[in-house]
Amino acid sequence: MTANPSFMSGVPELLVLRLLQDREMYGYEIVAAVAAATGQVVAPKEGVIYPLLHDLEKEGLLRAQRRPAGGRTRVYYTLTSKGVRRLFDLTDDWTRMTRAIQHVLKGPAHAV
Amino acid sequence: MFSKGQPMPFEALRERLLTAGIAPQHVRRYLAELSDHLDDLIQAQRDAGYDTEDAEIRARARLGDDDDLAQAMLARPALYSLPARAPWLVFGLFPLAALIGLCAVPVVLLALIAGGHAQSGGSAPPWFQDLTLSLVFLGNWALPPLTATLFAVLASRQRLPARWPLIAGIVLAVIGFHMQASFPGPHSHGGSLGIGLSFPGGQTGWLQWLAVTALTILPAILYRAWRRRSDPIPG
Repeated sequence: MTANPSFMSGVPELLVLRLLQDREMYGYEIVAAVAAATGQVVAPKEGVIYPLLHDLEKEGLLRAQRRPAGGRTRVYYTLTSKGVRRLFDLTDDWTRMTRAIQHVLKGPAHAV
Repeated sequence: MFSKGQPMPFEALRERLLTAGIAPQHVRRYLAELSDHLDDLIQAQRDAGYDTEDAEIRARARLGDDDDLAQAMLARPALYSLPARAPWLVFGLFPLAALIGLCAVPVVLLALIAGGHAQSGGSAPPWFQDLTLSLVFLGNWALPPLTATLFAVLASRQRLPARWPLIAGIVLAVIGFHMQASFPGPHSHGGSLGIGLSFPGGQTGWLQWLAVTALTILPAILYRAWRRRSDPIPG
């Protein structure tokens, strides 16, 4: 990640779930989609996406399917219904967090 | 993209992940996905105008080095295998359960055949006695070594220290089940099939037990030799 890793906790999961909500993808496509959607701000070493995908699949949030594509067999990842619920939860958490931080950043006069 | 004869790009990573305890199925898929991803990155770099050598170097840098790729996997507890997390359970208790299960199958099968014939009022067919004695022989001589081999294969898939399949082999040899069958005679009805723990009796019994024990521990010894040859650190 280009940002401080401790501030990125949970962000890759949120981004992957959100991008897979639109369509199924394989790893290379997911990395490219994350980079494009965030304007390269979130750009991890590309190979590290796979342990995250395996973990999410193990949790039942994604489903992996091998399918031929372009002369090779690719592992496509799809969001499950459990994954959709997790996406909603994470989105709520993230929205509340960013609102709170924005509130602080507006200045001391606005801070609680 | 990597030509034949070149070392596989992720071979060291494979050994590192397996030795650390990541489940073999996750390691296999991870390396396959990384390999495909690397090919895609190399192609993208070529399309961007880099020659083959530069494209491979730039692609590998974008993918991450072995440390990055290993740490990303090792940081996820859910991806570790049961044999790596609880080897005492898998190699200490599972052998006993496996042996009971594997012994139970022929015993139940024979009981069903014998019971079916008894219900219909007839005696068991002539081949029943041969089948029973053959299964008892296989159960006593082949089952413990074969089960021990399965546990040695399981250990090798995870690159576990050789002491674990050795423990499984010892458990199987010491607590190995001794099946016995007896038939009163070729023209008389009845007979018995027994399964249970027993100590060998007589010189022949001890020799048989020693032979089965040696065969049962052999897979672990062979695995240890293989580990020593492929890895200088003794298991």
